[in-house]
Amino acid sequence: ALELAEELWEELWDAGLPGDLPELEPECRSLLAAFAEGSAALTGCLGRRARPVRLCQGCYGHYRRLLAQYGSIAHAFGNSSESHNCARSILTSDRLQIVVTLAEFFNETWEAANCANCLKNNSEGLSNSTEEFLDLFNKSLTCFEHNLQGQASDLSPNNYTEVCKNCNETYTKLNDLYNHLQRLNRGGGESAHSAHLCIDVEDAMNITRKLWSRTFNCSVPCSDTVPVIAVSSFILFLPIVFYLSSFLHSKQKKRILILPKRIQSNASLVNIQEKYS
Amino acid sequence: MANVAKKVSWSGRDRDDDDERAGETTPLLNGTGPGAAGSARQLTPSSFLRIGQLSNVDLNEDIHELETELPRQRPNEIPHNEKLLSLKYESLDYDNSENQLFLEEERRINHAAFRTVEIKRWVICAMIGILTGLVACFIDIVVENLAGLKYRVVKDNIDKFTAKGGLSFSLLLWATLNASVVMVGSVIVAFIEPVAAGSGIPQIKCYLNGVKIPHVVRLKTLVIKVCGVILSVVGGLAVGKEGPMIHSGSVIAAGISQGRSTSLKRDFKIFEYFRRDTEKRDFVSAGAAAGVSAAFGAPVGGVLFSLEEGASFWNQFLTWRIFFASMISTFTLNSVLSVYHGSVWDLSSPGLINFGRFDNEKMGYKIQEIPIFIFMGVVGGILGALFNALNYWLTMFRIRYIHRPCLQVVEAMLVAAVTATVGFVMIYCSRDCQPIQGSSVAYPLQLFCADGEYNSMATAFFNTPEKSVVNLFHDPPGSYNPMTLGMFTLMYFFLACWTYGLTVSAGVFIPSLLIGAAWGRLFGISLSYLTKSSIWADPGKYALMGAAAQLGGIVRMTLSLTVIMMEATGNVTYGFPIMLVLMTAKIVGDYFVEGLYDMHIQLQSVPFLHWEAPVTSHSLTAREVMSTPVTCLRRIERVGTVVDILSDTSSNHNGFPVVESNPNTTQVAGLRGLILRSQLIVLLKHKVFVERANLSLVQRRLKLKDFRDAYPRFPPIQSIHVSQDERECMIDLSEFMNPSPYTVPQEASLPRVFKLFRALGLRHLVVVDNRNEVVGMVTRKDLARYRLGKEGLEELSLAQT
Repeated sequence: ALELAEELWEELWDAGLPGDLPELEPECRSLLAAFAEGSAALTGCLGRRARPVRLCQGCYGHYRRLLAQYGSIAHAFGNSSESHNCARSILTSDRLQIVVTLAEFFNETWEAANCANCLKNNSEGLSNSTEEFLDLFNKSLTCFEHNLQGQASDLSPNNYTEVCKNCNETYTKLNDLYNHLQRLNRGGGESAHSAHLCIDVEDAMNITRKLWSRTFNCSVPCSDTVPVIAVSSFILFLPIVFYLSSFLHSKQKKRILILPKRIQSNASLVNIQEKYS
Repeated sequence: MANVAKKVSWSGRDRDDDDERAGETTPLLNGTGPGAAGSARQLTPSSFLRIGQLSNVDLNEDIHELETELPRQRPNEIPHNEKLLSLKYESLDYDNSENQLFLEEERRINHAAFRTVEIKRWVICAMIGILTGLVACFIDIVVENLAGLKYRVVKDNIDKFTAKGGLSFSLLLWATLNASVVMVGSVIVAFIEPVAAGSGIPQIKCYLNGVKIPHVVRLKTLVIKVCGVILSVVGGLAVGKEGPMIHSGSVIAAGISQGRSTSLKRDFKIFEYFRRDTEKRDFVSAGAAAGVSAAFGAPVGGVLFSLEEGASFWNQFLTWRIFFASMISTFTLNSVLSVYHGSVWDLSSPGLINFGRFDNEKMGYKIQEIPIFIFMGVVGGILGALFNALNYWLTMFRIRYIHRPCLQVVEAMLVAAVTATVGFVMIYCSRDCQPIQGSSVAYPLQLFCADGEYNSMATAFFNTPEKSVVNLFHDPPGSYNPMTLGMFTLMYFFLACWTYGLTVSAGVFIPSLLIGAAWGRLFGISLSYLTKSSIWADPGKYALMGAAAQLGGIVRMTLSLTVIMMEATGNVTYGFPIMLVLMTAKIVGDYFVEGLYDMHIQLQSVPFLHWEAPVTSHSLTAREVMSTPVTCLRRIERVGTVVDILSDTSSNHNGFPVVESNPNTTQVAGLRGLILRSQLIVLLKHKVFVERANLSLVQRRLKLKDFRDAYPRFPPIQSIHVSQDERECMIDLSEFMNPSPYTVPQEASLPRVFKLFRALGLRHLVVVDNRNEVVGMVTRKDLARYRLGKEGLEELSLAQT
């Protein structure tokens, strides 16, 4: 097949046809194949870890590899004539530019997930704070499980007091750590994106919070309606007193009329009388 | 006809009397006598309609000639109402006094010098833009930080007490914080500079119309205004910081163009050419435009605002200069804020308020939406009229009963505390919880929501109003419950209405936008319920239209508001719908009551001249409109006379017709010119007396510069000492008076007089008879008295305020 293509190429060249009607060069082809496999692996990884979200933890290896493969296609731009050809023929020679699109898609997904926020600087692994958070997260999940088991079936499903009491410490720690991380992140970053923590951490926290306050109903805020109503009605009552008292006691401002110096209106009356007579 | 003849002679006699009496130091008391007697009649409500008084002409005449003998009656006191004109306000002198000094100066300055004057104008405009932009930056940054601090403190407190109980303490903390911040803001306004209260747009409008509002363009006012705005926004009132930018820009313009500050007693000896009202007026309109441009990031909108709302005088050269000032202003704000926000030279935050971008995909609108937009305009017009009507009653009450500064401060504090309380109760009662989506919410309050969710009412109440507007425009569909929005609209409507007119400096733009955005969004949501979730019913779009409708319904601007909304959202596609909405809102609103700014101008009893005289006033002639008798001066007048006339407190006149000095030689004393009080004072101060000139003292000739140096705060007559000897000297006015004042004959109709007066920006218009004798004088208050009311032509009364 290679020879056939070679022949075809030569024929075309002789016929004076312009352009690079191409078979890919073997190096390029292998690069492309590697990229295809890499992206398949990454897609698989992303899909499998979509729920509960574990994207960043599980797929950063794939992502890094894919980045490298894409880099070897694109970045060799201009190094040698050969790889130059690769970049051009793979990346920019058609309208669809599927490789670029794929690479962009992965990049965007990665950015949207804010994975960089829980990885070490060069995406080698999870950062320390993330590890710490996940540890705590696992701990609280196990705590939930234990206490639920201990509670057994004799209690009504709505009564989770045991869980609330026993796991309160872990949960509070987890919550505090999360808030701390968030604050750190917000302080460092400027753009809107980096303000998010990475999706894994966010999702883990969301799950825990939902369990805690929705399912277990643990965070019952004290609603002190009576004092609030008292204080607010007191404040709302003040303006009425104020306006009434100023209406009754304040001296009404009077304006002193000044009479303009002018010919009394007779002239105009005369005018009108003339018109009517 | 006999009657007319009689009247002429009567008035002629009166003028003669006046001339003679001028020497006897009792001028004008007699002149006001008959008027005072007649006042009893004037008070009856029907007498506002002069045309209604057809009966018993002669009888009336007799009566009041009899009453002349009576001593002056007790002054008539009436409660404040809208049909008054205050004596406090004077006119600005837009008419150039072409006296000999002026001609000399013009001869001296050659053509090239006039070119440098032109260049100076541009330099001043650039400086106005830069300084306005910087002031806007300052306000923005300080508000952001202080408000951030306040909301963090309150939020931490609420978070703490939500867990432990005792939220009433958070409520108290919030209310106290608000009230104390507003107290400071209100104290500085009420006790130091009351003219800095409100948005300042009515005041600037009056200034540009030619009314001299005391203190309106002083440096002190600027300082109070800026601090006041910051404090009232931080204090959590339902106000915005955009309106006051217009006033700030105007003060900056007036200050820079004069090249000095009388408050600081510093004179930089530059821009002396511009020290008169006409030049200052042009710069002030540039300043107003620069203010709008800095506030909304809308340079074109700023120019149009200045054109539509502000400037009563306009020319094309001015437009381009004003546009220049606006551009510079928005660019300055842009660059400084970009540095402040850390992204240097990213010039993407053009205004104090940034409405954010509307997405391209959901940006379109379809033909079937046009009737919906028009309907929204109608709603906006009705709500705006309601807002204005409520505010009218409230303002009237305030003027009548809450006029002491302490009471005003207490009122402002109460409003601040109630605003906080209402917000808190609404948040407390709301069960509308939304999941936190990143950092889109600045201060997410959890309160009774589950962990990881925030109270959606809190995004609207627990935030500065500007941020709430942006949230309402751009939050994705489903961020707010209809219930939340409905309650918010209702509460905020009354809060905003209650707040406008307090003695704090604050604007009404943002609250109106917020009310409108809330009900607009509500409208959008219900629309998508009705149409079974149509894709085109994006609530953000309807929030924008609602905001435009509400603002248009309240302030009744059309052209400039359309452009401002377009520029602030960076979106031309919505131009046509916004225009439709604003047009409808204005038409509907005008059917009920007038715009908020015009209403406040009227309530302040300002003699404001509209574009046209009332339509049914052609039967009135100059003779009935004018004031008479007129205090005239002779061309060569005794100094004592001049001093007496000037220091007479009962007649605080500013312009005096100059007549021939010696009426005995010819039979009439024809009009020779017009001289202003300010000129007379400068003359007296420099003691330009005939005798002194004859003594050939080495006295420097007075130049135009001497008059300019005294501008704009001429010393009062009391501060000028004239000795007994000097009182006998003579003063020659012919060199200093304006030799060709505008005059009208007695028979000229009111619309004619009005047109002349209004178009030329006059301050005094002399009425003469056919022998060129001075019969009367028409001033601004004489013309502004006539107004088209509900029952036809009305006449306002003058009052001391």
